[in-house]
Formats: sequence, C-alpha cells, structure tokens
Amino acid sequence: MSVVGAFCVSVNRQVCLNALMPGKCATCAEVCPHGVYALDPATGQVHIQNYNACVGCRICAEFCPVNAIRINPAESEYISRHPWTLGAVEEIHHKAQTGEYLLRGFGTQGPTPNFDMITVVPSQIASQEPRDKYREECDLEVVIGEDTCEEPIRLKLPFVWPGMSFGALSKEAKMALAIGAAMTGIATNTGEGGLLPEETWLARGFDDEAFDCQRWRPGGYLFVQWSTGRWGVSADYLRRSDGVEIKIGQGAKPGMGGHLLGAKVNEEVARVRGIPAGSDALSPCRYYDVQSLEDMKHMVTFLRDITEYKKPILFKLGPSRPYDDVAACIEAGADAISIDGLVGGTGCSPDLVTQGVGIPTIACIPPAVKALKDYGVHRKVKLIVMGGIRNGLDAFKALAMGADAIGFGSAAEVAMGCRVCYACHKGNCPYGITSQKPELRARLNPVEAGQRLANFLHATAEEIKILAMLSGHDRISGLSPEDLRAMDMNTAALTGLRLAGYDRPLPFWEDQQSVVSGDGNGQRKHVIMKKRGAQEK
Amino acid sequence: MNAIDAKEMDIRQLNSLLRESVNGSRVAVKNASHIHGLGGGLKHGEVLVQSHAGDYLAVLNDGASIKVFQDVGNYVADNMTRGEVIIKGDAGYGAAQYCYGGSVVIYGNAGDFTATMNKGATIIVAGNVGDEVGTYMLNGDLIVIGNAGKNFANYLIRGSVYIAGEWESLGHNTEVVALDNKDGDKLRSLFEAYEIAADPAVFKKVVAASPKPFYK
Repeated sequence: MSVVGAFCVSVNRQVCLNALMPGKCATCAEVCPHGVYALDPATGQVHIQNYNACVGCRICAEFCPVNAIRINPAESEYISRHPWTLGAVEEIHHKAQTGEYLLRGFGTQGPTPNFDMITVVPSQIASQEPRDKYREECDLEVVIGEDTCEEPIRLKLPFVWPGMSFGALSKEAKMALAIGAAMTGIATNTGEGGLLPEETWLARGFDDEAFDCQRWRPGGYLFVQWSTGRWGVSADYLRRSDGVEIKIGQGAKPGMGGHLLGAKVNEEVARVRGIPAGSDALSPCRYYDVQSLEDMKHMVTFLRDITEYKKPILFKLGPSRPYDDVAACIEAGADAISIDGLVGGTGCSPDLVTQGVGIPTIACIPPAVKALKDYGVHRKVKLIVMGGIRNGLDAFKALAMGADAIGFGSAAEVAMGCRVCYACHKGNCPYGITSQKPELRARLNPVEAGQRLANFLHATAEEIKILAMLSGHDRISGLSPEDLRAMDMNTAALTGLRLAGYDRPLPFWEDQQSVVSGDGNGQRKHVIMKKRGAQEK
Repeated sequence: MNAIDAKEMDIRQLNSLLRESVNGSRVAVKNASHIHGLGGGLKHGEVLVQSHAGDYLAVLNDGASIKVFQDVGNYVADNMTRGEVIIKGDAGYGAAQYCYGGSVVIYGNAGDFTATMNKGATIIVAGNVGDEVGTYMLNGDLIVIGNAGKNFANYLIRGSVYIAGEWESLGHNTEVVALDNKDGDKLRSLFEAYEIAADPAVFKKVVAASPKPFYK
C-alpha cells in the first residue's frame, strides 16, 4: 500500500519567501524526502511539481521559516476510489516503468488491529482498591536473567530500545539512544550492524572511554545483537555487552535478513561492520550455522560460555507463530524473548513485506504468554513486546496482557524528531536520524536527542504508573488481562480479552483461561521439540 | 605440556580450564568428542585436541592456535576473528563460516556451506568440499585442492576462490580468471607453510563478476 495521493499541499504565496523573492528560500525543496517541490535553478523559483508524492509527514511545514505551507488529508476521495486508489494505480505504473518492486522504510501504513479497541478497567468497590499515584509507590523494575546469570540486568523502567543498527541509523542517533538509556536505566541495543565504540561507554552513562566519571545516572545497559549477517561480531564484542540478543526475525520483515545498501556503507560503517566500504550488507534470512533446535541450544550454550555465564541471552522474534516460536526459544534456553509485531519498523524493506506479512502485535501476545505459562516460566523468562507501541496507554495494555517490558523503536525515532516520512531507506533523513551524510547528521545533537528520549520514557513511565495504580497495583508484574476489556468483537477474538458488556471472553477462548485470567502458571506443561529439519539441497 | 582428559567434563568445565591454562602455553585435550564449542573465544595459547571434536570447535576464536588430530563436527571455526585452526581429519557441515580473519586448514574433506560469508580469513581444504561452498564471501581467500559440489562460490561478492579440482556447477555472480604471479606466490607460500603437496599451476581462480549483484 502506498499513501500516494492522500494529501493536498498548499502554499500561501502571499507570505512564501520564495514567491516574494525568488532565489531567497528553497527550504521546502531541500527538506522534502519525496520530491514534492522543485527548485528551478534558472529562475530561483520553487514550485510544487508532484502533489501526489506527499506522504503527509509535514517536514516542509516544520522547516518553513514563514509558516506558509499547509498539508491537508484528502482521505475521503482516497477511500472512495478503493481498491483503485491513486496509490494502487501509481504503484502499478512504477512497476510497469521500472520493473522493480517498491522499497521503503519505517513501518506498516493504514489501519491494522491495534491496542485502541482495548480499554483499561479501573478499580472500584468490588475489586482490589486503587492506589494513590501521588502518595504511594509503584515498582517498575524488571530483572532479566535473575536466576540464570551471574550479572542479571535490572531495568529501572520496563523499557528497552530495540535493535536498530548503526548503518540504518546515524552515529548520532545511536549515541542518543545510548545516552537516553543511561539517563533512565534501561538497555540500548546495537542492532545487527556491529558495536559503535561510543555505545560502550555512553550506554553506561560515561562520556568517554576512560570510564572515569559517570555523567548520566543511573546508567544503562548495552545489548549486542548476534544475527544472521554477524557484522562486526567477535568474542570481545560479546564480552563488552551486558546481554546478547539472538535475532531470529523482526516485525517489519519477518523471514528476511537486514538490508543495508552499499550507498550507506561509508568508511566508518564499513569499519564497524568489518566489511569493505561500499559493499551491500545483506544479511541472510537464516543462520547458516544453525540447522536444528539442537544447534540453537548449542549456540546459546557457547554464547553463555564465551561471556562466562555472566550475561543474559535474549531472543528476538518476528510475528509468525508466537506460541511455537516462543516455546522453541524457551527450549533453547532464553532469559528473555522479544516479539516484534506486524507494525514494527525498519530502515529498508520491500513495501509488500512491511505491509502484508506478519500478525499484529496484539495477536502475538496471548500465544506468547500461553507458551511461557505452559512451560511454567511466565515472569521468569521475560517477554518484551514491541511493534507500533506509541505511549503509556499502549504499553500498559501490552504489560497487562502478559508482557514484562516494552520496546520503543519507531517511537524512539519520533522522540528524536522524526516526522514519519517513510523514506529511511533513501539515506536523506532531514533530521539526521537515518542518514550517513555529514551535513544531515550535524542537525542531530546526541545529548539533546538523548534528553528528549529520556523525557519521553519518563513521561511514558508515569503514564504506566497512573494506569497501574488506578487499577489497584503497586508493581507492574502484578498486572493481568483482567485489568483490560476488549471494546469490539474483532479485538476480543484476536486477544481473548473479556468483551466489554458481555464481560467474559468469546466462547472459543473459554478453554484458554490460563491466558485470559492471568492464573495457571505451569499448569499445562508440555514440551515440544520442533526440529527445523536439515537444509534441503 | 599440560594434558586434560575431558571425558567427564562439560563445556563449562573444559573451557574454563583452557582459559586458565593456555596462557601462552600448549595444552593437550583428549576424549573431547562430546564437547560442542571447545575452545570458544580463546585469545591466545595452543590447544592440541587428540580425539575427534564436536560441533562449533574454536567458535569465535580470537587468537589461539587450535589443532585437531582427528575429525571435527559441524561449524568448525565459526565466526573466527584471529588465530589458526588446523584439522587433520575431515570437517562436517558449514566449516569456517562467518570468519573475519585468521586461517583454517582442513587436511581432509569439508561439508556443504564451507566458508560461507567469509569476511577475511584464509581457508584451505586439502580434500573435497560439498555444495554451496564459499557462498556470499565478502573478502578473504578460499583454496580447495580437491573437487567441489554444486553452486560453488555462489554470489561471491569479493575475495578470491582457488580450486585445483572440478566443480559440479559454478554459482551466480562468478567469473573464472587466470592466476597471476602474485596468486602463484601466495598459494606456494601457503602450501609450504602447511606442508601441502599441490602445484599452484593447476589451480583455477574464481572472482566476483560484480561487487553489487543484487541492487545496482
């Protein structure tokens, strides 16, 4: 799906500097990621060359020095032409002219089942009494690897930054994420692009490699990703971390490996990834060195061994078959499992994969929780949910459905300044977040962006506290699906939550009480051993 | 030279002993065929394995010299960054994958997907290799003295692949070129160093047809 033709662009030429003084200002033409505006070098005049390319990000309006630009949605016409919307027509024209499919960045566009049709149930007289947000405490700490590792991770807030690679993101954006993690006591993640040296000290709250003076408290943690491309991975890379995440998949392109096109592989990215500059870094879709679940168990064992049994091992899954996938991760020996829903974002992916592959985040959580409960490890092996989570309300609902922590990927980019223009793959991010160009990167100050990220997390944590306490909890690990109700049939069917009014789960969920009631940890333990099978020749 | 009998040990016991004892010295290990991940992440020292070895031998090796006198399982020298791994017998599936540097010498045969995603190591197989060997190599050298199976050097990106025998089929994005003097000297010095009887003159060299075969 494309958002082509969904927006109307208008410029007030009575105040536009370029209209009044051609050649004096062409900011809109410079910042638009999709070529809506064009500058005529002969006359110095800017004109709108392609209304239809506008995706509604409003970057031009933000940068316009005289506030001359208005972007209005053209949704009604857009919907009335369905299925032959202008976007669908333009997509076919693009393929017919170039022979190529559409690539794009960021996440899923358009409506998908999400947290909006879930409501939070407050405490009243017939339930546990509410707690006072202003006078009482609510424990938000999450511990990963408490019983299995010598150095477990104690997240001060129930959040992590998901794996986003250096290469896809700029150095400044990676540094900002590390600083934001250090300011809030959460974990940042290298992604699959290797370890930027600065992340090592910034994530722990130090501003240089001497580790002399901690500038940002309480100090955060650093996860390193072990992925199918294995970019920049060595024994030291693992040992410098606080935890190792084995990437199996991601929400935006489950079943595919990472894409980093050669244009973004500059000297520094190449050095960190351990490959020649200018090479396309296309990760394989699977591990060449894992052929079965037994191999995966050995992999977890040697990763633990090389990190001397100190650091937690995490898995990251795309949205596929959550029950079986989570069960396999538990079998393999995970300390925490991240599951990334359909709406999860990426730096570059084929449009149809981002748009049409994977199941929604809300539908990933109940089967994942069921698998954890069937193995008797719910709340021990931590479940981290990510994929389109925007605020404390979404996060609270995911936590109440059984997650232990939340990953903010797209929301983190937005907190740094992103306006969601879906052009991360082009490498021309006007905010310097997903670009490797020095002039664009110079627009992003890592310390200021780190502070914005920390502010966002603190505000979100306060939102979670409000909701947890008004529903009667003094710790987030006590939340349960009983604190939620689905407000439509579709959401009740996807999640097993009680339907508001009907006040019980839909009939086909009634044999799944261990999921929907929050009870039954370990009651129905059974072991699956799902072999992947040897590679077919 | 220290000797360790690993018969009753697991990976944790054996590798912690190795980390303590190989600090610049030689250590012999026997009865280690049940251990997967032997010598993982070692930074220095010399380990001589006098039995068969399991899977993931010398995974993430970062400077040690590890020599096995019999056969090894799958994924030997996986993701090695520095050092040397020498296998006197055969290696299983996926030998020397994801290596960044160092050298791997296998005197016997090696299985499918050997040297996949090699990013800078020198990998020598004195025997035959299976299918899909050298897939998506980004740098480094692969030298095969025997024959190769299907899709040899598939989607080669950079680096050099040398073979004395025949392949069943050659992979995508490959080009066969003549050896120059530098190649001959390189092969000759490697064969002398590892005491391999082979004549550089009979080798064919395979290189990438394009450094960017997927996106132009």
